[in-house]
Amino acid sequence: MRDNIEDILQNIGAEAVPDDVQTIARETSNNFSRSLTQTGPSRQPILLETLMKSRISKLSAAAVILIGILVLTIFFVETNKGVVLAGVLERVEQVRAFMYKTTVAGNVITVTVSTEYGMKMEMDTTDPNTGESIIQQTFFRPDEKLVITIMPGQKKYTQMEYDDAFFARLRKENNDPREMIKQIMSSKYTELGRSVIGSKEVEGFQAADPTVFNGFAQETNTILWVDVETWLPVRTEIEYMSNDQVMASLVIDDYQWDIPVVASDFEPIIPEDFTSLTRDAIKMPSFDEEAALEGLKIIAEIFGQYPKNLNLMDLIQMFFDLRERGIKGNKGLMDAGLTLKEEMNQMKSEHIQKAMEIFGTFQSLGMFYMTLVEEQKEPIYYGESVGPEDADRVLMRWKISDNEYRIIFGDLSVGNVTAEELAALEEPKP
Amino acid sequence: MDHSERLALFEGVRTRYSAFLTSVLWKLTGDKELFAEATQYALLGMWRHVEKLDGKNAGAYIYRIALTANSRAWRTRIGRNGQFNRDRIGVEPEPSENIRRIELTAKVRKAISRLPDKQGRAIVMRYLQQHDYPAIAEKLHCSQAGARSHVSKALAALKNKLVSLA
Repeated sequence: MRDNIEDILQNIGAEAVPDDVQTIARETSNNFSRSLTQTGPSRQPILLETLMKSRISKLSAAAVILIGILVLTIFFVETNKGVVLAGVLERVEQVRAFMYKTTVAGNVITVTVSTEYGMKMEMDTTDPNTGESIIQQTFFRPDEKLVITIMPGQKKYTQMEYDDAFFARLRKENNDPREMIKQIMSSKYTELGRSVIGSKEVEGFQAADPTVFNGFAQETNTILWVDVETWLPVRTEIEYMSNDQVMASLVIDDYQWDIPVVASDFEPIIPEDFTSLTRDAIKMPSFDEEAALEGLKIIAEIFGQYPKNLNLMDLIQMFFDLRERGIKGNKGLMDAGLTLKEEMNQMKSEHIQKAMEIFGTFQSLGMFYMTLVEEQKEPIYYGESVGPEDADRVLMRWKISDNEYRIIFGDLSVGNVTAEELAALEEPKP
Repeated sequence: MDHSERLALFEGVRTRYSAFLTSVLWKLTGDKELFAEATQYALLGMWRHVEKLDGKNAGAYIYRIALTANSRAWRTRIGRNGQFNRDRIGVEPEPSENIRRIELTAKVRKAISRLPDKQGRAIVMRYLQQHDYPAIAEKLHCSQAGARSHVSKALAALKNKLVSLA
């Protein structure tokens, strides 16, 4: 077989590139280049229709809900308005209620948003452990500071308590697709030219800066297709990447604009015979410094080291990789990590509660870092080289004024220093 | 780096590596549709990482981009129907031995798309570009023995993957 393979490889290596393939290469390359320079619109979408399979398909159903929430919380960037997309933004601003579908790792999430009543999500997923279909309805209740998820098939529900900051952010960012358009506009977007989706002629826009979502994932590729007649979004394609790997990809489509809604559409009804999946309502920590420190402490207790970076997607992946560690052995896990792993695999209500609360600390850490990025406080994180034993080394720092920095040290103590003091602290030690 | 600077850099990189990408991606795909798809992914990868393609490690990055693009194109194809389409690989009705050989070649290509990064690069350098071991060792930043080891491991991995694909 080996000789045979070598023989085949030699033959492949000796193949010349046919003339028509050279032509395909030239045309593809020129089209791509034109789409970047906008000297003439490309007739082809830059990213092909089929998106990659996601590692997130391994996540539990509950996590996918949180991913859904998080995906919706990223559209926050303040913007310089562009020319073409401004028309789309203006049109979308007039819409009071709308619906769309998001596909994440094969799970379809239907989202209904009303600027008046709030937001709800319905998700049809398959439990990766049992293959069982799970319908989940999630209602965002800002007045009660609750996110309630109901699973009718299982007669279960969960309640998560968030603080005001979360809902303020949710109200500001999620109830309005303008934020996504603003985000693309802010990144010197590329016009992809016209294409056809279904029966609609559409025009494509791609966020040109892959680091525009810095803080959420290392790189993001976002493409928005809008109807050229109505100037309303038709489809959005997003890939989140880390270390050149696609962490998650999702498609948002089937938008329905200006739909009629009433208040009761957004009110959860929990029948009396439904029971809570967790013992009590899960209180999710805030996205502040204190919660971030708690997140770092817990991660160090579980893994014996700090995360290598604080991108939210990587932190989420780190948490859910814990369950997979059994395959590769338990290398690198501390006692707390081993205990958590066992608990995550048991699925009893008290264990689910604990696991979700710990997950909340991972989430808070990522959200805190993302907020610092968003607020342009220039956070720098050294988790790759600084560990819990490095008491006097800078683990993380960010700007709090023109000449002052906030510092988290390796032992998780904190303090404020001047730029000069920071320079001395960050000087490489012999 | 602003958008216009990135564009200028991208054009230079595109020109410099155009022949390389065309040759390698064609040999890795052997299928016009797959080739076009992989080329698009490679261009997208070049655009995303254009800053890295201007430095001393540009050669290593371009291999990585080409192999990643190839893997993604194959994954998409596999996701569609999991089968090889003879029309797409340009196969006319021929005697059975030739068909068997063409299908085996397509399977080898598919198996290369699933190799780990370093093994993939070793196979491309050794067989698709027909480099000698000193050149491979230099590009992979390892000894000649190391280069031989990567190629040998890659061949063994290909053999295993072909068995699983059979």
